[in-house]
Amino acid sequence: MVKRFDTNVAVAGIDLDVPAGSFYGLLGPNGAGKTTTLSMSVGLLRPDAGTAWVLGHDVWADPVRAKALLGVLPDGVRLFDRLSGAELLAYHGLLRGMDPAVVDQRARELLDVLALADAGRTLVVDYSAGMKKKVGLACALLHAPRLLVLDEPFEAVDPVSGALIRDILHRYVAGGGTVIFSSHVMEVVERLCTHVAIMAQGTIKRVGTLDEVRGDRSLEDVFVEVVGGRTATGEELAWL
Amino acid sequence: MAVTGQQPPLTLFVRLKLRVMANNMRGKAWRIVLFVLGLVFGLWWSVTALFLLAAPGFTDSLDGAVLASALGGGVLVLGWVLLPLVFFGVDETLDPARFALLPLRRRTLVAGLLVAAMIGIPALAAVLATSGLIITAALLGGWGAAVVQGAGTLAGLVLCVSASRAVTSAFATMLRSRKVRDLAAILLACLAALIGPVQIGVTALAATADWDRLLGPARVIGWTPLAAPYTMGIDVAEGRAWAVPLKLLVTGVTIAGLLWWWSRTLESAMLGAASAGRAKAVARDSDASPVAQLFPRGMPWLPRDRYGALVAREARYWWRDARRRAGLITFAVIGVVMPVMINVTSGGLSGSVPPVVISLTMVFVGVLGSATLANQFGYDGSAYAANVVAGVPGAVELRARLMAFTTYLGPLLIVIAAIVAAFLREPASIGVMLGSLGAAYGAGLAVNLLVSLHGAYALPETANPFAINTGSGVAKSLLSILGLIGATAVAIPIVVVTALAGDAPVWLALAGPLGIAYGLVAAWLGTYVVGDMLDHQMPELLQAVSPNR
Repeated sequence: MVKRFDTNVAVAGIDLDVPAGSFYGLLGPNGAGKTTTLSMSVGLLRPDAGTAWVLGHDVWADPVRAKALLGVLPDGVRLFDRLSGAELLAYHGLLRGMDPAVVDQRARELLDVLALADAGRTLVVDYSAGMKKKVGLACALLHAPRLLVLDEPFEAVDPVSGALIRDILHRYVAGGGTVIFSSHVMEVVERLCTHVAIMAQGTIKRVGTLDEVRGDRSLEDVFVEVVGGRTATGEELAWL
Repeated sequence: MAVTGQQPPLTLFVRLKLRVMANNMRGKAWRIVLFVLGLVFGLWWSVTALFLLAAPGFTDSLDGAVLASALGGGVLVLGWVLLPLVFFGVDETLDPARFALLPLRRRTLVAGLLVAAMIGIPALAAVLATSGLIITAALLGGWGAAVVQGAGTLAGLVLCVSASRAVTSAFATMLRSRKVRDLAAILLACLAALIGPVQIGVTALAATADWDRLLGPARVIGWTPLAAPYTMGIDVAEGRAWAVPLKLLVTGVTIAGLLWWWSRTLESAMLGAASAGRAKAVARDSDASPVAQLFPRGMPWLPRDRYGALVAREARYWWRDARRRAGLITFAVIGVVMPVMINVTSGGLSGSVPPVVISLTMVFVGVLGSATLANQFGYDGSAYAANVVAGVPGAVELRARLMAFTTYLGPLLIVIAAIVAAFLREPASIGVMLGSLGAAYGAGLAVNLLVSLHGAYALPETANPFAINTGSGVAKSLLSILGLIGATAVAIPIVVVTALAGDAPVWLALAGPLGIAYGLVAAWLGTYVVGDMLDHQMPELLQAVSPNR
């Protein structure tokens, strides 16, 4: 897949194969093209070239079938935040064409598990960052998709909520689901993922199972080396 | 910058504003086109006004000069206060919230933002237009009068800008808090109602063509802040130089008061939503099931499916989202005040109003109401992604949006028709009114669906419901005007038939159902055609309404 914004190439030809049942981490520094890649894969952003397949369905040629299998947590979790958590889940469920009774039952369960039931009457706009991520995740899970695409699910999330999200995702993969998520938090990726791809400047630099990519080093070392970071010598910023 | 407590010069704000304006347009051809269009439109308007205001000088008419300066100045100041609320929104290129962390004194910030606000097409147009008064003053009173008038014109610009900023800032702060939204609605109603008496007075007096009768009111207006700065040079020409310091005082005190008011509301704008009455719980029975919670109690007929969910969410948003609410409230006020004024002034006082006039004003109301939808997807912003990911069919999406909007607008339009009919004491014409309203509203919906898809633009993520980005100020007004023209064109058959039929009883009876049916068909066709386009453009639409970050 390729995407350009004006003259700026955001994604310069990416070919990524996410095995079914894998827990896939998409790593990269800010501006590497992670969000662009994920947006193109789920039908939110039209690629200039190429396409994405979800379990045999072309996202851009057969969007209805492909999107039914997808659960998405977009970046920045801009939700319809003038709704309460329960209202938002009901909206997402009915939007997916689910039966109202099933929506009610699942929404209640999700709110309970994610510890959002207490906030039942508060609007999502007044939620904390962690609660917003959790309710966004609940929206993505509600229709029991086969593939979860999460953009920065652990960004700005406190450790307690983070652990909860990790547990739920673990259970989801164990139940046969597939997860692909973007992140630049190495520990999370190292702890969770079976597969890893490292992106920089719009291309894939390293890809494979977690062990293939990191070898005998830490993932962080590999990442910094691939991305080409620098280390402070201690000389600069002496006035601080 | 070193921590010396030294305040930046005002030119810094000017440079910042120019830089932001330029960067907004960089590489975006359509924004440049819109900017140029706005410039051309502004120049055309201001040159026309310039000639009008300079005319008394060339015809050597002192009375004319008094009228032009007082009435022209008054209209200009009122326009600066009201138009941003009603139509264009405020240019928030320099969002006050961005300055919250900088060590700026409030005085520096207000002065800086004020100066920056004077950079732009509206200010340029205002200066150009009012320089017509300088010409008049020069021709009638010589150099002294011209210099005084020049100073007055500049003071008038400061007055206009600070008035518009103070009012919108205060109004925005009020609307943010749900508790005082009713108060805000009343304030806006009062502001809009200000147009009424002025219009009635002007029209009534202009109709008698007795300009002497206008002179008295004009001289009074000349002493109010509305026109004090604009009448100074004319006073000199009339040999009343003693009035100049007094009028300067009136202007200065008004500006100071407005700036003080603005700086008060500015502070709360800078603190942002954090202090603006957050954590508002939705008071409802939380034991109800999630689906039952989503659907408003007042709409029990909605099906519990995708369409119903879309309608329910939209209906909640029209009330809960400050920007949408601002649109609804402003329309409610204008929609009632404007047709009453036009119909009453165009002969209602003397007797009967021709059906064509009634029909035309109703068409305008209907079209104006539907224009609230011109950027309906912009209100959603990137949250619209949820609908894209769920793959909602375009026609369903649009039908749901129209249904939700109409649950607010429909009753409102009927109330407007009833009020106007009551004012005119012409219950027989209610059929023509409802028919014209229905046809225009339906046609407007259809046209605005098209506008909302192809002309969608992102609204900035600020708490100010009137905020827009520079460039989109022009875009917004241009699109609304295009939408208004297009919708009026589609709705015009009903006016034509009314003109031909006149008072024929058959038409008085048939106009209602026929007009409403016409509107329904137009709106339905709109959802059908535009829905098909939407199906192919959802990602592009999402990109258009997502704010750049």
